[in-house]
Amino acid sequence: MGGELGSLVAAMLEAEPWVGSLVGIDVDPPRRRLRTAEFHLLQPSQRDRIVDVVTSFNPHVLINISVWEPDARAGLSHARQFTADATTAVVGAAAECPALEAMVVRSGIEVYGRERNAPTRPTEAAPLRPTSEYGKMLADVERQAREVGRRVGIAVGKLRLAPVLGKHVPSPLGRLLRQPVVPYSALADAPFAVVEDGDAARAFVAAAARRLDEPVNVVAPGAITALQATVRGRRIPVPVVGPEWGLTRRLSHLVGAPIPDHVIELLHRGRLADGSRAPELLGLSPRLTTPEVIDHLYTWESVVRIGKVHSPAGAARGVA
Amino acid sequence: MAQVVEFPKRAVEVLRDPMSLLPAHAVDDWGRDPQLVRAVEPLLRLRWDVSVGGVHHLPTKGGALLVCNSRRWAQHHLFAAWALGEATGRPVRFVGRPDIAPVGAFMRRVGGLLARPDEVLGALRNHQLVLLPATSTTHPRHAGDVSHQLVGAAVVAGVPVFPVATMSSTVGRVARAEVGAQVRPRHKRKGPLAEVELAEQVQHHIQRMLDGLGGTQTGVAPIDWLTEG
Repeated sequence: MGGELGSLVAAMLEAEPWVGSLVGIDVDPPRRRLRTAEFHLLQPSQRDRIVDVVTSFNPHVLINISVWEPDARAGLSHARQFTADATTAVVGAAAECPALEAMVVRSGIEVYGRERNAPTRPTEAAPLRPTSEYGKMLADVERQAREVGRRVGIAVGKLRLAPVLGKHVPSPLGRLLRQPVVPYSALADAPFAVVEDGDAARAFVAAAARRLDEPVNVVAPGAITALQATVRGRRIPVPVVGPEWGLTRRLSHLVGAPIPDHVIELLHRGRLADGSRAPELLGLSPRLTTPEVIDHLYTWESVVRIGKVHSPAGAARGVA
Repeated sequence: MAQVVEFPKRAVEVLRDPMSLLPAHAVDDWGRDPQLVRAVEPLLRLRWDVSVGGVHHLPTKGGALLVCNSRRWAQHHLFAAWALGEATGRPVRFVGRPDIAPVGAFMRRVGGLLARPDEVLGALRNHQLVLLPATSTTHPRHAGDVSHQLVGAAVVAGVPVFPVATMSSTVGRVARAEVGAQVRPRHKRKGPLAEVELAEQVQHHIQRMLDGLGGTQTGVAPIDWLTEG
């Protein structure tokens, strides 16, 4: 609930008529003003406290967004550790809640992997063969959630998000594209799709409201390549081939935009997914196309005005 | 008298932001780049002068699988996809791109799909026109085997299948793509026989159309005999 996406989901949940009370856990305080939600500042390693907060609240719906993308807010080893700790604690606690009806977990289209001859636009039915560290982390989150869902008999919705971009979302891809000079693969310049943080948050709310019980790809329509994105952002594109990528990664790290392996994979092999089932399963489709999300990424604002959020009374209880 | 001097605003803007000269492009959901396709069209026109027939058979909206014959090294699927795309006003994607950069990456940008049933199924379910080349042959008027696994995607997606007979000259620019009527399965099958029989039927249809088209006509008889294999 403290991160950009978590705060956005919490604010939207507060405005939902079916949400009665709301409890959130994160390592950072909320980035938005939340009126009714109760917040607990806890580290992923504080498993006993997390389990205590979740079980004593006994929610009807649990939303697990606690996934640390490598080089977004933490380096790879920390991201892996935090994600594993948080997933174990939150998903484990879910199994102990008698009132729980549904759980929604954050995943990503990185779980499909981009090995040679992998489908260009995998559907939800495609096998999970992650080829990056982040993809493996997400596949593990899905596996744990699926196991708990089977044991306890609750609905488990898995939202496989395209790379989430937004003006204030910590993302290694967003950071890379906003550099004044942007490297791209000269030989491949592969297409990728993204999703805006607002659309991702709406998908979480819809999945929770509908008690989603299967995986769904959440991908903005359209696609773009790194070169096209760079040109749209009026940055200088630099074609990079083969071994030069090692040097590029080091230089980019030095200037504050580390490039993790899943972003390298995206630049070389592309990252698309078939999001055509989202309207049927969630009752919504992303409002912004991929080129529009990229355009929004470059229109940086120093002040973000947050509109009024009303919170009518409801019935269900949720943890975000 | 005074003379109004217009300040070259555009030139100054370009000097200040040279990146504004480059147009803002994007690719579609499968990575096809319409701008790149338009850019390579003159090259395709230089190589092939394609006459297209039977386009009225194709649906104006919704997915459809088109199956064409293919002669070795002749790239029939490339010119057929381009010419049919121009004739229908809809992008026609072709099956059979490699997944190795830079060739595979370039072919994806001009509408290539991997030869995988799930890839073809995804495109057909999303209402796309997909052109599937049969196994390539050395004889210009022989229809090769049609992959029943890939035709099976059309059966699963419930979209019509159309035969496309293609011919081209090895030395000249003359090329032809003729679309036949929809191939309807003779028997209602519930199992995998549906796709096997449909693939065989499509191959027979293409062969019949190729027989009807006659040989290559470059205007130089010895060359025409050469292209007969």
